[in-house]
Amino acid sequence: MSTVMKIENIEANIGDKKILKGLNLELEPGKVHAIMGPNGAGKSTLSKTIVGHYDVEVTGGDITYKGKSIVDMEPEERALEGIFLSFQHPVEIPGVNNAYFLRTALNAKRKHEGKEELNAAEFLREMKKHLEMLGMKSDMISRNLNEGFSGGEKKRNEILQMLILEPEVIILDEIDSGLDIDALRQVSEGINKMKDGKRTFLVITHYSRILDYIEPDYIHVLKEGKVIKTAGPELVPYLEEHGYDGIKED
Amino acid sequence: MNLITLKNKNAQEVATLLDIKERNAIVKKFSTLGLPHKMTEEYHYFDVEKLLDVDYKTLNYVPKSIEEGDQIEIVDGVVTTAPKGLRVYPEICENIDMEHFDSLYYLGHLLSPRVIKIDVDGDAHVEILHKYTQSHALIHYRIEITNQANRHVTIYENFETDEITNTLVLYGYDMHIAKDSTLRMVRLQTMSHKRYSMIASHRVEVAKNAGVVLKNFDFGGDQALQLLKVDLEEYAHADAGHLLYLNEDSKRGTASQIIHKGEYSSSKQIAKNILDGQARGIFDALIRVKDSAKYTKAEQDSKTILLHEKAYMASKPQLEIYIDELEASHGSTTGQLDEKQIFYLQSRGISHIEARKILVIAFANTLIETIKDTRHQERIKNAFEEVFYASHKG
Repeated sequence: MSTVMKIENIEANIGDKKILKGLNLELEPGKVHAIMGPNGAGKSTLSKTIVGHYDVEVTGGDITYKGKSIVDMEPEERALEGIFLSFQHPVEIPGVNNAYFLRTALNAKRKHEGKEELNAAEFLREMKKHLEMLGMKSDMISRNLNEGFSGGEKKRNEILQMLILEPEVIILDEIDSGLDIDALRQVSEGINKMKDGKRTFLVITHYSRILDYIEPDYIHVLKEGKVIKTAGPELVPYLEEHGYDGIKED
Repeated sequence: MNLITLKNKNAQEVATLLDIKERNAIVKKFSTLGLPHKMTEEYHYFDVEKLLDVDYKTLNYVPKSIEEGDQIEIVDGVVTTAPKGLRVYPEICENIDMEHFDSLYYLGHLLSPRVIKIDVDGDAHVEILHKYTQSHALIHYRIEITNQANRHVTIYENFETDEITNTLVLYGYDMHIAKDSTLRMVRLQTMSHKRYSMIASHRVEVAKNAGVVLKNFDFGGDQALQLLKVDLEEYAHADAGHLLYLNEDSKRGTASQIIHKGEYSSSKQIAKNILDGQARGIFDALIRVKDSAKYTKAEQDSKTILLHEKAYMASKPQLEIYIDELEASHGSTTGQLDEKQIFYLQSRGISHIEARKILVIAFANTLIETIKDTRHQERIKNAFEEVFYASHKG
């Protein structure tokens, strides 16, 4: 199997607590990998570790992305290289206009890729098609970043960023939490639009509902800081019925 | 003139030193309060004695014939231009607050008995430009503004200087805001280091059912203190806010008293402070609710971001309440930029340095965006970004 990202025996702490305890995972390019597991298994810590969150201290192991170690990279370098995290709880930033933020982020990426920066008019044209598809009102981009957004609006805004930045590895951390059925359908549509056989998805979820909309290729069960089982999508109904306790380590 | 010579002098000595033959009540008031010093509460965090103890050049204040212009232009304390139809003239000020907390309010009236009187008729937008051209000078003047009942006035106040150094400006407003009217004043001060220091002592009298909005955007160097006293009659409202951005060793801020005198009066005072280098920000603000001011609503809040470990914020929000029937709150927070917000921006490919800049500008924008006129809002945004980026290159 070719891999775009390889997580080898990674160990990570948050504060004094060891959360990831020698976790191994390989992501295949163009595939949807779902990470499932009980609360406290380390799912969110895994996503934070991949993107270089300041809470996480990596104490062992390595993460390579396209053959290059990323554990010592700054978060913005990882983002510019094509790693994207859709946050479970996106922060509100009063005073930062959403359109300004999106254009700054896009232009940072374009600059990194040696492309010309987009001006405001070009950017808005680019934006309009995504807004329509996500069922977002155009005034959302003139509001302050996530300020006063409902849970659903915040998640749509995360997907909007994903569509604009066109990352290669996309981590969706509990993307379905707080979404009603209509919002879930629109968000999933945005995600599925990005499935082009080249981009890789890591869908972190506690519930299987999201997997009805985003069809996974692999299911990885995470427990006590380790991946204990990897299987195909046929594992989902088993987990629905038996929960995580019945899963035996591979 | 060296103002420190007025220290610890009785009324008669003050009158002799300033060569004043009348205005005994004001002289007495000044000598009773005394020249401010380090232990004077409102000046405690401001090196006032250093500023006063300097031999300044004194200027002659001869009124000039006023030319017609788009704005009121005041050069070294003398009006040179004014818009057509606006009554701007020198006059002895008779309506002086005899309960002001600041002795320099009285000194200002003693040094400048003839104030610049501005009568605003009807609804109006007025721009005032203060220009300073003299180095090592004491520039003192006062302005009195009146408006009409049930009218709405907006004033934009700006400052410019020539290549001057070590000048002290003592100025201030007496504003009389008529019943059922509103007056908004938006003040933008942005200047190079060591040009001039300023002590601005204001008095604002807000009549029944009237409102005043005072927004001060201070991106200055050197030293400046705004001393503000606002009196609110029944159903009157005051919205006073300042945004400070300070760097190097500047010391600037606001010392204020908002006095609720009438029932159902309301006030909101928001201070946002961004401090860099070894700067010191000051927010020493008292809201007093008198026993006559039942059903008052008062809100006071100061938020500070420290960008350098040596920067310091002296924040002292205070409530003094003499009744039970009211809604009042006050608070003060001082801290660094939010790590979660920085990380969120970084996770989208924005560098740590750029993320910090964006967040500082965002913090400032929350107050700048309360200015609804887009032209002036843009002007203030640009002024802030220019000053901020100049000290955060790279």
